[in-house]
Amino acid sequence: MSSSSGSEPPLGESARLALDEVEEAEAILAQNPPKAEAALGEAAAAGRGSGWLTAAFAAPGFAWLGFYLLAPLVFIVVVSFWTPDQSLGFVKTWTISNYTGLFHDSTYWGNMLTSFETSLIAVAACLVFGFPVAYFLALKVEKLQNQIALFIIALAPFWTSFLTRAIAWTFPLMGRQGALNQLLLKAHIVSQPVDALGFSTLSVRLAMIQLYILFMVTPLFFTLAQVDRTAIEAARDLGGNWLNTFKEVVLPQTMPGIVIGSIFIFVLTMGEYGTVQVVGGGNITSVGTIVNSKISAIEYPQGAASAVLLVVALMVGVFVITRFSNLREEL
Amino acid sequence: MIQTMTAAAEAGPRPQDTIVRQATKPRRDWAKIGLGGYFAVFLFFLYVPMILMAVLSFQGSNGNLTFPFQGPASFGWWKSLWDSSVVGFGQNADLIRATAVQSLKLSLVGGVVTALLGFLLSMAFRRRWRFKTDGIAFYVIMLALMTPGFLVGLGNQLLWKAMNLTPSLWQTALGANVVWGIPFSFMVMLAVWNRYDKHVEEAARDLGADQKTTFREVTLPLVWTGIFGSFLFGFTLTWNDYDRTILLQNGYQTQTLPLQIGGMTFSQAIRPDLYALGAATTAISLLGIGLLLAVVWLRLRFRRAPVQRISEELGDTTGLGRAAGLVGSRDTSN
Repeated sequence: MSSSSGSEPPLGESARLALDEVEEAEAILAQNPPKAEAALGEAAAAGRGSGWLTAAFAAPGFAWLGFYLLAPLVFIVVVSFWTPDQSLGFVKTWTISNYTGLFHDSTYWGNMLTSFETSLIAVAACLVFGFPVAYFLALKVEKLQNQIALFIIALAPFWTSFLTRAIAWTFPLMGRQGALNQLLLKAHIVSQPVDALGFSTLSVRLAMIQLYILFMVTPLFFTLAQVDRTAIEAARDLGGNWLNTFKEVVLPQTMPGIVIGSIFIFVLTMGEYGTVQVVGGGNITSVGTIVNSKISAIEYPQGAASAVLLVVALMVGVFVITRFSNLREEL
Repeated sequence: MIQTMTAAAEAGPRPQDTIVRQATKPRRDWAKIGLGGYFAVFLFFLYVPMILMAVLSFQGSNGNLTFPFQGPASFGWWKSLWDSSVVGFGQNADLIRATAVQSLKLSLVGGVVTALLGFLLSMAFRRRWRFKTDGIAFYVIMLALMTPGFLVGLGNQLLWKAMNLTPSLWQTALGANVVWGIPFSFMVMLAVWNRYDKHVEEAARDLGADQKTTFREVTLPLVWTGIFGSFLFGFTLTWNDYDRTILLQNGYQTQTLPLQIGGMTFSQAIRPDLYALGAATTAISLLGIGLLLAVVWLRLRFRRAPVQRISEELGDTTGLGRAAGLVGSRDTSN
């Protein structure tokens, strides 16, 4: 029956018009739901017994988070106000000496500054190098299957254990006989291998960018995929060059993705421990390695205080980043 | 009006028509080509460590961690991954194998727990939880995302110490790893629920299905991909974790692979067998991804066919679709 409609364009056309109208009506309904229905829906959803079911769904997850996340974090703050003890680690006497000691510790603040610098560089680099990747995948690759396929191919190295990938940044890539030195020698940029490449701040930062850049590309990809391609075309048709189109059309719609990605990279690199330890080979320190060395030396309260200050720094950073976009509204 | 214009157009080819046709000739999208090239370079950057490892894993028994390549080329380091008796290669093999298996078990359990908890949490939020705690609950989940790993490890270690308990891989490290997986799983599930059409559940209930049947036969199959995605997140994060687990392990027998590798790095005991393992995991994941994509591709092809047919029935005026056999079978099936 319906196959005959193909030969009658007017019918197909009217059907499509009708569909458009239905969609429009649905959109209007979605924006202003009828009052009676809204009232009913709310009451029905929050009705007797239903709240218990909701709580039952939420309970296991929050119990887990409470026990393995909230309680430990609160306990770190508590311990940071306890008195250090060489044999037990801490005794339960309140003091603020852990913090006053830290405020005069220039090594700690120097590391905080270096970690912060590393994080800023990582965020900027991941954004600059990751954006074209996400843009290409989301807006230049036409088919959804191809987008997903290419994206997963980029994700594949993640299933190779993290430290194995990190180790590639020690001897094989950046070492004296490493690939980069060989390349520089072959290109006659240097006359003898550069020793300073391996186990350096540079190698740590490069490794971090490589290990974490997908945490930037992923949110960018998802927000860019939602950008209306026709809006870009319209902007071009209206005479905007690509820079203007990018600034006025693409960028505002991508801001939530940029903010989320930046938060990811900032938090991950600022609180980094493993990469610094392995790629830095003990030569490079970060706030993470400092806290860890305090813990190893059974200076738990001092370590906890250093950690608390790091959390404060992280919260300030995240707060500043979120100022660039109203996430709650845009998500 | 239109008819007269059509008549005029049919009267004969006018010079304007040719010009128009030339102007609309598809131009090459240089931006696409350029960005595609950049994407290739990006992939190369991501894969460089794997390529170097793969090359160095084929060294001889005197092979080192870095270039130059120590010949003769052999499969010794690869063989030693499962056979520790290979002469000259097998010193680390047992350790690597044991910890890799340990990591695999932990990651599988971590993935399952993450998917389960994230799914349940998303169900709670899906029911439009309009308590005052709504905001707080959301921020707690986001806090799990934003707390640096070694802080979670540190907090758990201190807490367990205060409770006079020894942290262990399965009781503590698993907990800390799932904590990081939950927000990822939660976000994946929220995205799935956002695209989910609630009406299908209502339809199922109208057709007489009870709540359990509706959930099993309608809801679950539709959100299954999201749950699997959550599992993959939980698995991958646990598999890669170092910062959390380092403070929560209890001695040598319960090490995970990243911890074992870290330990071998510091004692300078790494050999090219680690590269063989790295290359092997990359190869296995690429193979798995290839299989997954093939399955998804086949399913999409299979599932899209009816939709394509309908759209062709609506829009196909040339009869090409019917000629190609794409249209028509639907009618016979009805």
